[in-house]
Amino acid sequence: MRLGVVRGKVVLSLADPSLVGTRFLIVEPITAESLAEGGNPGGGKQLIVADHLNPGEGETIAFVEGREGANPYWPGRAPVDAYCSLLVDRVSFRGISGSGISGT
Amino acid sequence: MFVARIEGFITSTVRHPSFKNCSLLLCRRLDADGRAIGEPQVVLDQMSSGYGSEVLVSTDGDLARQILNDNTTPSRLVVVGLVDTIAREQ
Repeated sequence: MRLGVVRGKVVLSLADPSLVGTRFLIVEPITAESLAEGGNPGGGKQLIVADHLNPGEGETIAFVEGREGANPYWPGRAPVDAYCSLLVDRVSFRGISGSGISGT
Repeated sequence: MFVARIEGFITSTVRHPSFKNCSLLLCRRLDADGRAIGEPQVVLDQMSSGYGSEVLVSTDGDLARQILNDNTTPSRLVVVGLVDTIAREQ
């Protein structure tokens, strides 16, 4: 799952029947650099994320990408490959620079 | 699967029901030289990994479904081991 900031939403006039009740968010992924700098997080390439949790604009979320994004529709099937799986209250992140890999 | 280093965590109240009792950590993937690359990823952890730990992360959604015992879980990344040493040819 990556972190992202909600930047807007997409409203459909006609949708696949499996997507009724799903909202679509415009999400800007948060890069490690923007997290380390503090200030305004974001910086990634924006994408559309399916959602059932209803975050507001500017809120931080975590979203899963890939086939697993359609799991919440189980046992039904839905054409979804990015899904908002949680709303983030607080992020604690401190990057570790340099090579710290163990072993030889 | 990939090796990653734990560099933080998140707290979250509103989350998918399948994450109810999970610890959510932030990690970054390590390249062959041990440098963190890419964007921070949220991983599920049941191994009590701490800050700075190097961990093995599985990207298999089926495994996540089994571990959480929930077919509807929208998660892929799960910590499946703590790295002790990595031996590679120079």
